[in-house]
Amino acid sequence: MRDLPVPDPGAPDLRSPWHYLGGIGRAQWRTLTRGVALGVVFMTALAMLPVVLGRGIDDGFVTGSDGGPEVVWPALLGWAGLLTALVGLQAVAGMLRHRAAVSCWLQAMYLVTQQVSRHLRRAGTTVTRRVPTGEVVSTIASDADRIGGAMDVVPRFAGSVVAAVVVAVVLLRTSPTLGLVVLLGVPACVGVLALLVRPLHARQHAQREVAGKLTTLGADTVAGLRVLRGLGGERVFADRYRARSLEVRLAGERVARVQAVLEGLQVLLPGLLTTVVVWLGARYAVDGRITAGELVAFYGLSAFLVLPLRTGVEALEKWARAHVGARKVLAVLRIDPPVSDAADADPDAGRRDGGTAPGLVDPDSGVTLRPGELTAIVSADPAEAARVVARLGRDDDSTRVELDGVPLTDIPLRRLRRRVVLSEAEPALFSGRLLDTLDPWRAHSTAEVEAAVDAAAAHDAVDSVPGGLGGRLSERGRSLSGGQRQRLGLARALLRDPDVLLLIEPTSAVDAHTESRVAERLQRTRAGRTTAVATASPLLLGRADRVVFLVDGHVVAEGAHARLLADVPAYRRTVTRGVD
Amino acid sequence: MALSALDPPGTSSRTLPVADAATVRTSALEVLRRHRRDFASVVALYSVVSLAALAAPFLLGRLVDGVSDGTLTTADVDRAGLVLLVAVLTQGVFAWLSRRASGVLGERVFAELREGFVDRAVELPLSTVETAGTGDLLSRATNDVETLSWTVRLAVPTVFVAGTASVVTLAATVAAGPLVALALLVGVPLVVPVTRWYLRRSRRGYLAERDAYSRVNGSITETVESATTVEHLGLGAVRVARTDADLRRCWAVERYTLALRTRLFPLIDTGYQLPMAVALVWGGFLVSHDLASLGQVTAVTLYLRLLVDPLDELLAWIDQLQVGAACYARVIGVGLVPDDRTATDAVPEGTEVSVRDARYAYGTGPDGTPLDVLHGVDLDLRPGERLAVVGPSGAGKSTLGRLLAGVHPPRTGSVGVGGVPLVDLPLPELRRRVALVTQEHHVFVGTLADNLLLARPGADRAALEDALAAVDALGWVRTLPDGLDTEVGSGATALDHGRAQQLALARLVLADPHTLVLDEATSLLDPRAARHLERSLSAVLTGRTVVAIAHRLHTAHDADRVAVVEDGRIAELGSHEELLTRGGSYAGLWRSWHDAPTGPA
Repeated sequence: MRDLPVPDPGAPDLRSPWHYLGGIGRAQWRTLTRGVALGVVFMTALAMLPVVLGRGIDDGFVTGSDGGPEVVWPALLGWAGLLTALVGLQAVAGMLRHRAAVSCWLQAMYLVTQQVSRHLRRAGTTVTRRVPTGEVVSTIASDADRIGGAMDVVPRFAGSVVAAVVVAVVLLRTSPTLGLVVLLGVPACVGVLALLVRPLHARQHAQREVAGKLTTLGADTVAGLRVLRGLGGERVFADRYRARSLEVRLAGERVARVQAVLEGLQVLLPGLLTTVVVWLGARYAVDGRITAGELVAFYGLSAFLVLPLRTGVEALEKWARAHVGARKVLAVLRIDPPVSDAADADPDAGRRDGGTAPGLVDPDSGVTLRPGELTAIVSADPAEAARVVARLGRDDDSTRVELDGVPLTDIPLRRLRRRVVLSEAEPALFSGRLLDTLDPWRAHSTAEVEAAVDAAAAHDAVDSVPGGLGGRLSERGRSLSGGQRQRLGLARALLRDPDVLLLIEPTSAVDAHTESRVAERLQRTRAGRTTAVATASPLLLGRADRVVFLVDGHVVAEGAHARLLADVPAYRRTVTRGVD
Repeated sequence: MALSALDPPGTSSRTLPVADAATVRTSALEVLRRHRRDFASVVALYSVVSLAALAAPFLLGRLVDGVSDGTLTTADVDRAGLVLLVAVLTQGVFAWLSRRASGVLGERVFAELREGFVDRAVELPLSTVETAGTGDLLSRATNDVETLSWTVRLAVPTVFVAGTASVVTLAATVAAGPLVALALLVGVPLVVPVTRWYLRRSRRGYLAERDAYSRVNGSITETVESATTVEHLGLGAVRVARTDADLRRCWAVERYTLALRTRLFPLIDTGYQLPMAVALVWGGFLVSHDLASLGQVTAVTLYLRLLVDPLDELLAWIDQLQVGAACYARVIGVGLVPDDRTATDAVPEGTEVSVRDARYAYGTGPDGTPLDVLHGVDLDLRPGERLAVVGPSGAGKSTLGRLLAGVHPPRTGSVGVGGVPLVDLPLPELRRRVALVTQEHHVFVGTLADNLLLARPGADRAALEDALAAVDALGWVRTLPDGLDTEVGSGATALDHGRAQQLALARLVLADPHTLVLDEATSLLDPRAARHLERSLSAVLTGRTVVAIAHRLHTAHDADRVAVVEDGRIAELGSHEELLTRGGSYAGLWRSWHDAPTGPA
């Protein structure tokens, strides 16, 4: 079996949902082909069981001289042996088909997941802005599964078509009428049942919609349980949940009703086919045109038809679902990345030794970061200072910022992200070993990691994780306090030790005691390196080589914190928060 | 492959209990008993379907007998055809009715289970809610409830239906030809051992599978939510590798369960079908000894075929039942947390909150001694005062706040109001007196008004607006499209962290207890807005005692008294001015924060 996941999922075909599904199918054509071959063998063997059984009855039992049945042992044992062989064949082929089908399913599912995850690598920041997180996650949690389901059903569907034709041919050889009943009847039944697929999907969709909302409501209630248990209101919320739960139940019952009709018809329609076949067959038997064994075979063959019939309906249903899934996956894969290397970019642009005018310059705000300096950026509106710092880090390609005289947009992203690192106010931590979230690049020694933790005054955060650096963080580091997460994020940025480090409000959730320690250590750790901090905290501002004060997004004053405090009243008001 | 390799690496310890097998069984039987009429009618309806399905093989046996002894007439055939038609119609109609009944039943039972879960969850003890965090509870409310949905809505009805069909068909097989039916026994040694072998292993396999896929979803969620960090720290390749590694784990688990099925399927398939071949030979022996008719042999072999589908279906859904039982254990486990307080009848005299030699530990050391985070704290809150609590991270400020709010009892010592320990008060009484707002805020799905009303059901619009004004929020609420009726929370208008904190404080204003504990309750607002809010809030809260745990020193500056907590003790206590004069750690900190430092502090 093919080892999964594959190293390279290849580029998705973005032209249309069917093209996309086609691409997925092509990527696993070998497994699909094997699955189809096995599916045909499996289904045909199953279909032939009643034929062999019928021959066993005919040849094994003859009318004896006394008018009663007499057993012909060699024939009976021969046919029973063949029957046993056929049972073994379908069992083995069925198992191998199952393995191939599971492989098809998983190959498709993993391929979609890999394509989405690789797309997020390039376009993650735009994807999050345009598509709700839940929908992105559902592309891999449910759409990938639907696409897998479409592949899984292919071998069984192929087997069903072949087996239904085989059944028809066997019947045609004895009676054209019976053959035609099957040849026309089966597709007609599938057609009738297919009519129910659409209303069923509509109701299932409606049910999923309200059920999804109910899950959100339940999650919302338990997520806010602190508030409810602390202040009250839990009964109100439990009752609200109950009311919505009733809606979901009713939507579910509507689905169940259509499903019941489908189920009933799946019993009734093939049952009618069987009735016709048996009735006609028995009349032929009275005429002596067919034997008793053949009658048994006809019954068995037509009863077998339930399977291909159900499989046909299932295939139609799964393909329709997969098409919807593919559309949703494409909605994510088609989003363009916010930053990308120009096709004609100079691969050498932005090398450390290149450039004419040293430093990082933003012509739009007038902010300049001088090499080796710790610059603080202050604005009465903290969001404005954050925006300027984000621009210095090329958060999208509209930036006009230059690094050492070279536009950031000309520098290959790999190099830029290594030289200039932006860390947000709420840096994201990842589940897994703490050491791996601090040094995700696995490029630093434990001593270096410990030094960075020390520089960010984050020892208490490390100590609070059972097992310390080797211990495990829960999803997004939720078990830590906001201040602890913030300092671990800072430690990670310091560990990266970039030429230019851009920090947005790195201590906004940290207590004053710790903040003063962080400020002092930041200054020491970044000595001789270029650093910018968007902040209004006096503890950090006092450590900056230079403070830049922005009003309406433009630099209005620059200088040491103490001098600005004395000379610029607006600055003083901003940083002392009115404490006089 | 060793199954232990499939278990997830140690994650954070479970915080809520999981029901044991006996409790799960009792609880499931209770559900069955409650709906016994509905379950009985599903079984009855499906018995009709199964009985009707038996008509065809039975008639065929008769026809074969007729053909073999040459007595069959066209009239017989037409009559048989008519009976068959009626049987098929009955089968179709009752299949429809029984599936409808079982589907509706599944929906009802599942609705009952999920409502029961929420009912139990909102009754969880306050201390559990505060310390357990929401992760475990949230995954039970979403993942487990959703998996249970499949089990209850689909697996339970199918198992009932398939079980009925198996029993009825089996009975008919034996009735049609008791001797011929002995052929069935050859299937038993093939089917039974391998099924037992499989079921012993499959549950863990499928649970591991579920866990592996939820990891993929979890890490993709992280990647999406952390897009900015991923982009700027150049973590794209790291995250892609993580997803690939998660998928490799899924593949490993899938291969394990696939290996189980690779052994199971051929054996049970053979076990189900082989009796047909055996029945033919065994039937030959019986017929030649005049112990059975050819019609009986025919009917039995055909019944044996009818038996395959329901048996297959039963087995296919037993896995789902097992996985569902594991989820069910976690869902009902929520109801097994013992209550954390037993209220006494004591009525507090007065509103003064006092702490006497309070110690508190979240856990014990390896030798069993409690690891205290508070080491004997004494504190008397003066009614109506504003007390700021400052100190370094991890000093025990938040723990002190929880004791003051009656979330936990102290390990030793006492925390009480008007002479009565806080944890001796019934929850509604406690809420009337003290309330805690932390940095962990939450905006509920619903309107802004819904979000406020939970603190004081029945409050009028004016009261809501006053509360919003007290936290500086009325301005922005009025700019929202529908004002107080704007839908907020997940999936609707998003409120930033600062606004969410304002909302949390407005709830507190509405609840109006005499003592309020604010643990970093304004930390997510920008500093100037935070200060303004605190001032308008204290104007509304005159006469109320406020304990404000804060990392911003202006909060301390504005308070009546400041308590400096260091290493689990109150190191300094006094007014801002007094502490400055004293020249301790508070004074040093204030100077470095307020005055522009010119060199290392």
